[in-house]
Amino acid sequence: MARLARATPTSCGHFVTDAVGPLIAATLAVPLSAALLVGLMPTPGAADRLNLATSTLTAALALALAAAAIAAAPDVASRGSWYVLDVASGVFLAVVAVVGIASAAMSVFYLRHAGRSWFTARRSHAWYYAAFNIFWAVLLALPLADNLAIAWLLIEATTAASALLVAFSGKRSALEAGWKYVVLTTLGLSIALLGIVVVYVAVGSDGSGLGRLDWQALTQHANELPHELTLFAFVLVLVGLASKIGWAPVHNWLPDAHSEAPPPVSALLSAALLPTVLLIAWRTKLALEPALGSGAVQKLFIGFGLASLLVAIPFLWRPLPWKRLLAYSSLEHMGVLALGIGFGTTLAIAGVVIHVAGHALAKALGFYTAIPLLREDRRTADAPARGIARTSPTTATAMSVSLFSLAGLPPSPLFVSEVMILLGGMQAGLLAVSSIAAVLLALGFLGLAHSLLEGLFGGKKGPHRRPSRSVQAIALLAGIAAVALLGLTAIAYALPGSDIVEALMRSGA
Amino acid sequence: MSPAAITALVVLGFAVMLVRRRSLATLLVSAQAMVLGIAALSLARGRPTDFLVAAIILLVRAVALPALLTFTRRRTPEPYLVIPATTVLVRLVLAATVVLIAAVSIPPLGLGDRPAEHAAVALLSLGIAIVVMRRPALLQVLGILVAENGIYLLAISVPGGLPFVIELGVLFDLVLVVTVAAAFTHKIHGEVGSGDTDLLRALRD
Repeated sequence: MARLARATPTSCGHFVTDAVGPLIAATLAVPLSAALLVGLMPTPGAADRLNLATSTLTAALALALAAAAIAAAPDVASRGSWYVLDVASGVFLAVVAVVGIASAAMSVFYLRHAGRSWFTARRSHAWYYAAFNIFWAVLLALPLADNLAIAWLLIEATTAASALLVAFSGKRSALEAGWKYVVLTTLGLSIALLGIVVVYVAVGSDGSGLGRLDWQALTQHANELPHELTLFAFVLVLVGLASKIGWAPVHNWLPDAHSEAPPPVSALLSAALLPTVLLIAWRTKLALEPALGSGAVQKLFIGFGLASLLVAIPFLWRPLPWKRLLAYSSLEHMGVLALGIGFGTTLAIAGVVIHVAGHALAKALGFYTAIPLLREDRRTADAPARGIARTSPTTATAMSVSLFSLAGLPPSPLFVSEVMILLGGMQAGLLAVSSIAAVLLALGFLGLAHSLLEGLFGGKKGPHRRPSRSVQAIALLAGIAAVALLGLTAIAYALPGSDIVEALMRSGA
Repeated sequence: MSPAAITALVVLGFAVMLVRRRSLATLLVSAQAMVLGIAALSLARGRPTDFLVAAIILLVRAVALPALLTFTRRRTPEPYLVIPATTVLVRLVLAATVVLIAAVSIPPLGLGDRPAEHAAVALLSLGIAIVVMRRPALLQVLGILVAENGIYLLAISVPGGLPFVIELGVLFDLVLVVTVAAAFTHKIHGEVGSGDTDLLRALRD
């Protein structure tokens, strides 16, 4: 297999290491500064322009970091007092950066016709962009966190900003979704914090304080940790994080928050927040696995994976509003990722990487498509879309690219990644689990395909609508996403056996 | 920590589950945070940094957050007391059952203070039970605070304490979440004319 990435030459490596600290500081400082500065903008248009400029800079900085991390594979590019820039952080940083800049661009189209909001019309752009940038900054910091406790603090910090964004419309249903999100995820994370305190105590007093919970330190001490206590702590951490990842059965907030949030925020929640929190669960698994044994950990991840698939699939067959359908698809895909991490073979991990990236592109496009869809027909907020191919062929094309990719129709990278994960399960000797998952994924594919065909061609004949500017933006994004998705499919064939996968097998260590 | 303080913490948690008035429940949670704060201060004697961190946490948990919730309660007057979904007796029995199961089923957590471990898990379970069983939004926020008090009890019982970065970080996140939850409480009240979260049941599949 091709070696996808090689370590950087020594001189270049030194340059990268030296530059990483300031680059990380700048990546986080730009969106945080933007969150403050948008409040000073005199008009909503000026806030839009400032946000676009700072978002472009943020994404460029984050992608530079991601490139440095992936280029250094299988080595760790840099490690600082609180951060680690390894391949895993590189992959997830890239995903968060791409979804973030796309959401920033699409926010302009959303806000132009958003109507009523939680805030006054004059200040709504400023509040939206302030919360958006804080949320994005924390999401960018999360994959870099080199410490379980710091990761927990960052995950909890996402809640406040993102909850305001979920309820941005100020509608009763949005308030319900935002409230459920705040309460359930905060309680879930309290359970995770209990687990983290137990791990801290179990690692013992070696004078290193906070450093006891660094991924590397946890891995080094894992062999000395008591099995039962560590398993108890790990279950608490995983259950707590599951409430934020949206794994069944602790997923209740997910369909509501994703469907009620503004579409660019739904994209960030589904394509960036859920996988990034999943990365922390994954890093915790890898760090504590020597103390737990692979069997127990594997069962937990597979349990969450199968439960998420079982809960999600029936909803993919139901006539749901477009964004709600995408929300249940998120539940399904987080289940697939849980299975991949649970199987833990090189093939499955390669599948996980492609799945994270492919899901992010396809799901974000799907949510952005809701902007013209809701603008052209307000009823699609509460009812399934119907006959879109007749009324808006461009929107229909974007919906097709998104949903066929999410369903796993070849040549979607999600088809390849799901096959890799299932084969990885068989490689791990879990034929029955892989078979059950294959059946569930096939049912999910049929459900999504059925929903898409109904959405495109079902219902009564409606009038053909003139494309708005948001439709033109969606057409452009759909084209870019389609090319990127095909590119991911090509990468998927070269990924197993690469340095990237080798590094991911021991992320954080 | 002394057995009397641990008993007081758990009794105050149960009381939040039982009382109907939001004002009284806020006072009870404030008192719970005060007991915890005083315990933390006494454990930190002779360590100036830890003492300062404990004092900040006490002020925020026992004074600032209850003050914020009192302010929110005054801005969201209820035209009538929200009728509880269950009777006091049912709530008491359910809460006691949840707490007993949780406390009995946990293995020793390695703190060397088994009563504190049991009480911490009891408070966390009580907090979750309060959120599930109480309908007013403000009482649900208080449920979150009871659960967080349980975690804080565990944190101060750790030999040598937790690093202050974690303690202050958790406090910062808690302030953010409670502030946002208070804003939600106000907005929900404005939208439905009550803080009764049972009136928010539009999202069903």
